[in-house]
Amino acid sequence: MGDLSGYKGAALRLLEGAGAAVGDVLEVRTAWGAVTGTLVPRYLYGDGEHVVLKLKSGYNVGLSLEDISEVRVSAKGEKPSFSPPPPPESPEGLPRVLVIGTGGTIASRIDYRTGAVRPAVTSDELRSLVPELSQVARVDPEIMFDIMSENIAPSHWTKLARRVARAVGEEVDGVVITHGTDTLGYTAAALSFALAGVPIPVVLVGAQRSPDRPSSDAPLNLIAAVSVAATANFSGVYVAMHLNESDDRIAIHRGTRVRKNHTSRRDAFESVDVPLAAVWGRGGLEHVAEGLPPRGREFEPSVRFDEGAALLKFYPSMPGALVRAARRSGAKVIIMEGTGLGHVSEEVAKELKSFIRSGGMACMTSQCIRGRTDLSVYDTGRDLIHMGVLQLGDMLPETALAKAMWVLGTGARGEKARKLMAEDLAGETTARTFPG
Amino acid sequence: MERLLVGLELHQQLASSTKLFCACPTVKTEEFPGKFERRLRPAQSETGHLDPAAVFEFAKGRSNLYFWNPESSCLVEADEEPPHPLSREALRDSLLIAATLGSHLMGEVHVMRKIVIDGSNTTGFQRTAVVGLGGSFDVDGVRVGVQTVTLEEDAARILGEDDASRHWGLDRLGVPLVEIALEPVDGDPDLVGRVALHLGRVLRSTGKAARGLGTIRQDMNVSLGGGKVVEVKGVQKLNLLPKVVEYERRRQSMLRRVAEELQGKGARRVACVHADVTGVLRGSASPVVSKLLSGGAKAVCIAATGLGGLLGWEPEPGVRLGKELAEVARANGVGGVIHSDEFEKQGIQPVEEAAIRRAVGCGSEDALVIVAGRADAVDRVVPLLADRLGACVDGVPAETRAPTDGGETRYMRPRAGSQRMYPETDVPDITVTEAEEAEISREAPEDWRSRVGRLEREWSLSRDLALKLYDADEIERFEELARRLEIEASFIASVFVDLPARLSREGVAESGYSHSALAQALEAVASGVVAKEAVPDVLKAAWEKGMTVEQAAGALGLERIDEVHLAGILDGIVSRQAALIREKGDAAFSPLMGEAMKELRGKADGALIARLLREKIAGFSRAPD
Repeated sequence: MGDLSGYKGAALRLLEGAGAAVGDVLEVRTAWGAVTGTLVPRYLYGDGEHVVLKLKSGYNVGLSLEDISEVRVSAKGEKPSFSPPPPPESPEGLPRVLVIGTGGTIASRIDYRTGAVRPAVTSDELRSLVPELSQVARVDPEIMFDIMSENIAPSHWTKLARRVARAVGEEVDGVVITHGTDTLGYTAAALSFALAGVPIPVVLVGAQRSPDRPSSDAPLNLIAAVSVAATANFSGVYVAMHLNESDDRIAIHRGTRVRKNHTSRRDAFESVDVPLAAVWGRGGLEHVAEGLPPRGREFEPSVRFDEGAALLKFYPSMPGALVRAARRSGAKVIIMEGTGLGHVSEEVAKELKSFIRSGGMACMTSQCIRGRTDLSVYDTGRDLIHMGVLQLGDMLPETALAKAMWVLGTGARGEKARKLMAEDLAGETTARTFPG
Repeated sequence: MERLLVGLELHQQLASSTKLFCACPTVKTEEFPGKFERRLRPAQSETGHLDPAAVFEFAKGRSNLYFWNPESSCLVEADEEPPHPLSREALRDSLLIAATLGSHLMGEVHVMRKIVIDGSNTTGFQRTAVVGLGGSFDVDGVRVGVQTVTLEEDAARILGEDDASRHWGLDRLGVPLVEIALEPVDGDPDLVGRVALHLGRVLRSTGKAARGLGTIRQDMNVSLGGGKVVEVKGVQKLNLLPKVVEYERRRQSMLRRVAEELQGKGARRVACVHADVTGVLRGSASPVVSKLLSGGAKAVCIAATGLGGLLGWEPEPGVRLGKELAEVARANGVGGVIHSDEFEKQGIQPVEEAAIRRAVGCGSEDALVIVAGRADAVDRVVPLLADRLGACVDGVPAETRAPTDGGETRYMRPRAGSQRMYPETDVPDITVTEAEEAEISREAPEDWRSRVGRLEREWSLSRDLALKLYDADEIERFEELARRLEIEASFIASVFVDLPARLSREGVAESGYSHSALAQALEAVASGVVAKEAVPDVLKAAWEKGMTVEQAAGALGLERIDEVHLAGILDGIVSRQAALIREKGDAAFSPLMGEAMKELRGKADGALIARLLREKIAGFSRAPD
């Protein structure tokens, strides 16, 4: 039986009866004439009433079963062999960059027969698709996971951190991690703690437009990420994404201060309340912030995470039961996203108090995203301080969550954990906020 | 003579209220407050192949600057937001058009991405979907088959370009259009013109076609004697179609004859060698060469075996292989191409030619092609030209060409391969419901020929006027005025269809044109304020100076004068010319009429003037001295 992926119901029976498989050339007789085309897969949610053919012109058309009188296979499909153009030669002595894939496609090619998109997996394929990389570094691609970024969990952070830590010993000049953009900010923050002090640049990169389209932002983001990983004179964990809607500059964000602030724009990622770490242009780094850690630092990774932390967003009428539910689900730390300077209702405050009394740690961030918490301004805030809520200042809620999981992963509890949460370990919080 | 086949592809913008994949209105923008820059790159197919047209555009290394205005575009056009669901309104309009052409409507519509990386789409592809398959219509007894009817988004509007980038306006990007691809017809230029005209009228009959400049354009696939297909893109004016067909016939015939000459010599492929001749040509006596080489330019000479004498050969008027090469070079940013058949004309001395031949290492029978310009551009163009020369033995190359204003065609890029279409995964497939199909069949429009016939009969119009009214989409307004005003319908019709064109020819800006002024002028004629003859001058003044019709008539002194006043003026003329009347009698009418018209043009009806003048002359003759 050939592949008939996606077909169901009457359409599936008709195609099975004809001995057809995806990729075959079919001649379909209809009430109004014959149509010849290649059978293409049906999407998951398609109905069982249509057969989809790719015409010679390349168009797909959906033919209604009620029009079809006969299906005949006129040629069996041949599996196309992939022979990309040879990648350009790399000059000798280029820096070496490990490119780790986590599931978001780095670069991909299209099956015009069926429309499927396949990721590039070898170094040659990658360099053939993005030839500019050959002039920047020797790239070693390595696919670690093949998952959507919303399915990335702390266990993946640990694996990534371990792999990067090993790469440091393999004389790699820098590491690039390609990652779906949805949770890219969380992973960047998590790795910033796990790899605090990493002596090379570790650059996370994603794309807001998929790489199967000519307008994708992936190639330029990737070129910039590889270029920074290969040549920057600073170290640490960063995110490289478009600076604006143009294909000319790439923003290099600090891993603990970056947030996805738009659902679809190329420049969705923003550094919150801190200047960009650097800006990359086609000629290389154009601007580098002062005070970034140099390469070659002492490094002692701590790669474990403990999932016993929860992030709760306060809203008007939020039931205290949600705090209890978090606690019951195993949370040892609750990061609250309070309103304004960091406030929650009396009901939620009461529950937090009881959570703290039972040994939990409650931390306050703000859902305003920009600015810092200040619990001393209003009575509500003072009450929270009094009951032991730890305010996290200008730390991003998502960063605070990743940090809490990391803190728990180190085994720290009680006062020690509280101290770690409050301290600046990887640039996640600063004492001063600037205009602009 | 070998058979020429022409497949027309007509693109018609729809008059839908929104764009195809977002809620932006379909309006033209004059000012663009925002801009951004993009670079597009070819996406690779499963077999590792890259679309030749895509590679060609990418190799030029130019970026695209997009200009936008929130009044006409949003993040979707900027490719910063996924497309919204396909406009149901546009889908219905396109299905109605497909049904009108007798196409079978698709039960399920699949939106595809067609790779286009010349920058005209921010995404690097055009979203397009087949809505109808098959169908046919009849043009003067010739059956013309329809291949497909597709609904697609229009491309961005080119605003300009320089060496570094192309500039595009995003207002037009995403406007819904239908593409109707016809089966090839016999390449009789006149038939091709009539087919296009007919199809345009069919579209208009549905009431779903947008009007105005640039809302309709034709592509043509032209092949000679079963040879490769040449695509001519974007013929906007209908009257250019026959000229373009005829030019392509001559051009393709020339290329075939060149191939036959080569085949006759037993050539399988034209061998090419090339060498840098910058040094050889430095200090050349030819002013053309020294100009090309100024400012550090580079010159490379290609020698092509067996092509001597064929580059400048003109077996049909206005088509030469040499011209083809220059077009390919120009499309790649190199303006300087000189070939050996024109060395003498360009002032290259025989001694220089000999030096070039030595440098390239070729015989005196080979054709030489000098390519001069910026070094990087020359290096890019030389292999392209060598390929083109090499393939001369195969006849017509498949390529995409653009029409010129004069109806010739120019090389644009290699033809896109078929491996450039894949599904638009951001837009779900759409099922056309039975209710929609039923509604569409209820809306079937009246055949344009029967509508024009009805117009002719009901208002006693000439076929020409009736057709012009139909083509100008003025039937409704015409009929409203013809019913209401006591003026000859053919006069109203001619004011509607001939006058705007005439004023435009006289240089009156179209921006001043208004239907209300047109109606006012006709009303003024009906009420006797303005004479028929004065309508053109009055409207011209009204449009040019932004006046009302009455103001314009007053300003020009063209208010109609009444019969008593008119008689007085004619009396004056008759008495002034008494001697002439006495001498010539009735034969004095002509000179007197001339004098009267000089004074009265536009103020009174010519026929009335003539009648009164004849009466006066007769009366004068009869009167005693």
